[in-house]
Amino acid sequence: MNHRLAFHDVAPHGHRYARASDLGSFEFTYKAEITSIYRLTDAENLYRIRIVNNEDRRHFSFRPGQFVMLELPGVGEAPFSISSSPSNREDIELCIRTVGNLTGVLGHAVRGTRVGIRGPFGTSFPMERMHGGNILLIAGGLGLAPLRAPIAHVQEHRSMFDHVDIIYGSKELSKLLFTFQYEMWKKDDIGLHIVLEKGDPAWSGPVGMITKVLEEIIGFRDVSFIRQTHAIVCGPPVMFKFVCAMLSERGIPMHKMFVSLERRMHCGMGKCCRCNVGSTYTCLKGPVFDYWSVMNLKEAI
Amino acid sequence: MLFRVAEASQLKALFELLAQTNTMLGPVKVADDLGGNPVYSFEEVAEFSRLSLDYTTTRLSAKRFFLPFREDLAVFALQGKDWSKQMDYHMDRPAVLFGLHACDINALNRLDKVLMGSDHPVPYYAAKRKNIFIIGTGCTPRPSCFCRSMGTNTVTHGFDLFVTDIGGGRLFFEIFSSEAYHVIRDLATGEPTPEDHNAYMRVETERNRKITTTVDTTDLTKILDMEFQSPVWKTWGDKCLGCGSCASACPTCYCYGVEETVDPGLREAKKTRTLYSCNIVDFAEVAGGHNFRPERGTRLKYRYYHKHRGFVEAYEESLCVGCGRCGDICLAGITVPEVIASVRGGDPT
Amino acid sequence: MNASKQEQRTYLGIPVPRPKVAFFELSSCEGCQLQIVNNEATLLDFLSLVDVRAFREAMTEKFSDYQIAFIEGSVTRADEIERLRKVREQAAVIVAFGSCACFGGVNQLKNRFSDPAWVKQEVYRGHPVETADTARPIEDFVKVDLKIFGCPVKKEEVEKIVTSLVLGKTVVHPKYPVCLECKANNNLCLFDLGEPCLGPITRGGCNAWCPNNRFGCWGCRGPAVDANVAQLQKIMRQHGFSEETILDRLECFGGFAEQAKELRSKIGGKG
Ligand SMILES: Cc1cc2nc3c(=O)[nH]c(=O)nc-3n(C[C@H](O)[C@H](O)[C@H](O)COP(=O)(O)OP(=O)(O)OC[C@H]3O[C@@H](n4cnc5c(N)ncnc54)[C@H](O)[C@@H]3O)c2cc1C
Ligand code: SF4
Ligand code: SF4
Ligand code: SF4
Ligand code: SF4
Ligand code: SF4
Ligand code: FES
Repeated sequence: MNHRLAFHDVAPHGHRYARASDLGSFEFTYKAEITSIYRLTDAENLYRIRIVNNEDRRHFSFRPGQFVMLELPGVGEAPFSISSSPSNREDIELCIRTVGNLTGVLGHAVRGTRVGIRGPFGTSFPMERMHGGNILLIAGGLGLAPLRAPIAHVQEHRSMFDHVDIIYGSKELSKLLFTFQYEMWKKDDIGLHIVLEKGDPAWSGPVGMITKVLEEIIGFRDVSFIRQTHAIVCGPPVMFKFVCAMLSERGIPMHKMFVSLERRMHCGMGKCCRCNVGSTYTCLKGPVFDYWSVMNLKEAI
Repeated sequence: MLFRVAEASQLKALFELLAQTNTMLGPVKVADDLGGNPVYSFEEVAEFSRLSLDYTTTRLSAKRFFLPFREDLAVFALQGKDWSKQMDYHMDRPAVLFGLHACDINALNRLDKVLMGSDHPVPYYAAKRKNIFIIGTGCTPRPSCFCRSMGTNTVTHGFDLFVTDIGGGRLFFEIFSSEAYHVIRDLATGEPTPEDHNAYMRVETERNRKITTTVDTTDLTKILDMEFQSPVWKTWGDKCLGCGSCASACPTCYCYGVEETVDPGLREAKKTRTLYSCNIVDFAEVAGGHNFRPERGTRLKYRYYHKHRGFVEAYEESLCVGCGRCGDICLAGITVPEVIASVRGGDPT
Repeated sequence: MNASKQEQRTYLGIPVPRPKVAFFELSSCEGCQLQIVNNEATLLDFLSLVDVRAFREAMTEKFSDYQIAFIEGSVTRADEIERLRKVREQAAVIVAFGSCACFGGVNQLKNRFSDPAWVKQEVYRGHPVETADTARPIEDFVKVDLKIFGCPVKKEEVEKIVTSLVLGKTVVHPKYPVCLECKANNNLCLFDLGEPCLGPITRGGCNAWCPNNRFGCWGCRGPAVDANVAQLQKIMRQHGFSEETILDRLECFGGFAEQAKELRSKIGGKG
């Protein structure tokens, strides 16, 4: 006598998926094509990426602040914030700095190279909650990349916001990102304040700490303005720590400030544990956190 | 749950019933250590006599059958600028795991929560979990077991069949799945009598009496937060080798890294997942070399955070089933009961 | 062996260069170089990735227009230093190939004798020898761009590294110790069997070659990142291993030279 056990095929329909609860969602990759590569600085490129399959492309949507996992087969996969408008359903843009393995090879990529995209993953900036008030969009260095999606939202819904200011700190003149957009932002009545860490003969604007410029912008504002204000802060941890501390002192409640945390990531789906801060998954509960939550995360700063 | 009793000889019959057409896995004695104690390991077995069902514990858990240390998540065929991605879950036939203890079944149940019960469930794990028929057996506690403190000394689901030796040459079957019921039908079994129930309870009480090591988990999530800056982490960190053996042995550790490679002929690429350990130096290191946990002490602390705080927050139970393997395998002698007792600021009780 | 000119290869459309490489040996057993020719199955693929301009193990003709130089062996003689400097002038990338080149390797064992004159007398029976008193890693003399660890190196690893180099990927060495792969292979721990093992402090990547064969690790790949050497020494003592046993292990390949020296001075070593 013998007893052959039944075999269960767990994902009979393969890696198509409709819901995040499907087994097929785990390694589901949108195939996408690099349609243009624009050199922003010596170290950063802007990649325009288009999902190849028409139906997939319609399926893909994201909220400002979310990220995707970008994969170049055989090279690697890593998280990148989507740096374009959520209302653009044709393609997405990623602003990528060359720092290591995948980003290094991407630096040599050509138009037409096909990549994989998984996601979008993570939390987003709650733009709707900010409607009717003022916004401070504060970026340090590469932090401008994730800010480009909320900035686009503001541009497209300009009448929903009162005062909007971008405060952008960069190391030096040659490292400024998205210079081609500055005029457009200003045209949309967004105040643009750029500050460099290092002076330059060709630069007539302010030089020094970003907090100094910030002080000038909000220093003269009254209580009712501050009460109506949200802040989105993206940049290296030391930078957002100082900025948030200062804003907090000025009276902006911590739950009205949003930051985006960066951690090592290997999945984006709460499985690999590499992104944990204390015991919170940055890829699930973040990358966007309000500052109150960040203060309550062990290991966050 | 249905219950049945049978003569002890039916265990071999059960094995043989399944062994003819299914892959059989189970505890096997593989060596004696220096002190003359047997060392066990879960292996593929062909003969019932090879099984050591009275084993204490295995060095490594049965995790590798469900979460292999290294697994290809995808293979890419390359064509010019394009590629195609192929997935295989590496499970093509059912298998039987014969002789898993309660703690280890509970460990699988915890893995199920994160790997199957949350968004983006892991098909590689699910394929194995759903196709490995699990036969639990009562255990032989050893000094490092503290499953009672973790509530994992009994198990109520997550297996197909559980067999307990209730003495007097009799076996007590707990039948969980209908598949198990169908198998049992082909054995000579009977309805348990009240005396069998009593015997079962006596055996369990006796077993529990032998589990002597305890861990006080009262308010542990809060205490871990309060003791975040405690100097004990550095003390343990100085001892720790950062070798990751604890995670390798642990039945519930599941974290990993992903690496992609290309064959030297540039024909094919692979995306490979390798289990990792948060005690290893580059677990939280990012591009450019910044390391969020550069010291061994902070990494060891994070291990306890994940197991005894983060997982509890998310799933109402700890990611530790008290099997004691990590302490047994640690060359530096770092054990969960001692670490937690030191964090609580007292001696282990 | 230098394949004829072929058209530019690409990977997913990205151009892939075919660098010119050369292999050199200093004082070594040439075992590392042999690893490469040994692998017939993938040798052709390997040769299509790189253009080999000099390789003593397999070719007589030599060219000196290489970009990447793989250097095997440690430095023991003055003329080797001179050769090294010449290679450095030509090569864009110098790869220390194998443990001898990386740490001195087994050759550096002679460094431990504090009276080299005595060694020469005893070992070479007074025959004239032109070896310096020490065996040094090549890094002591020229800048090294990349290291490939192992005694011998592992051919799969070399192939992976070379593939990464031509694709422009970064070459990352495992930072974790041998134990991780040893456990992955479900090995019995040698400490349980009464054998010493440097697995907990040695850089992984060899797939636990020695423990797989029930030999304790001798540390041929040098220290893992953040290796807790002091703690392992303590553990070895607790397991009853003598200071000499510990020292023998630590100083075998030169990767733990610092700790070995410290231990030697503590126990007042021989020589
Ligand atoms: C939510 C999020 C958004 C990000 N957005 C951007 C962006 O818009 N632009 C940009 O240039 N960079 C961004 N980064 C950082 C970017 O992910 C890293 O620069 C990238 O992983 C480096 O990959 P690499 O292979 O070149 O580096 P390597 O050092 O070779 O890294 C190897 C692997 O380690 C992991 N890893 C290393 N560093 C990081 C890191 N900082 N964060 C996460 N994983 C890491 C990745 O899996 C990576 O593939 C973001 C990171 C996060 C977490
Ligand atoms: S706790 Fe023990 S087993 Fe775990 S990493 Fe540290 S030394 Fe290794
Ligand atoms: S942490 Fe240790 S005791 Fe707890 S389940 Fe893992 S191996 Fe067992
Ligand atoms: S405790 Fe550490 S090793 Fe275990 S699953 Fe969590 S992160 Fe991984
Ligand atoms: S045998 Fe060596 S490498 Fe393997 S686990 Fe034991 S100490 Fe580590
Ligand atoms: S186990 Fe140790 S000695 Fe053996 S090959 Fe690996 S690193 Fe070298
Ligand atoms: S990136 Fe894997 S768990 Fe967050």
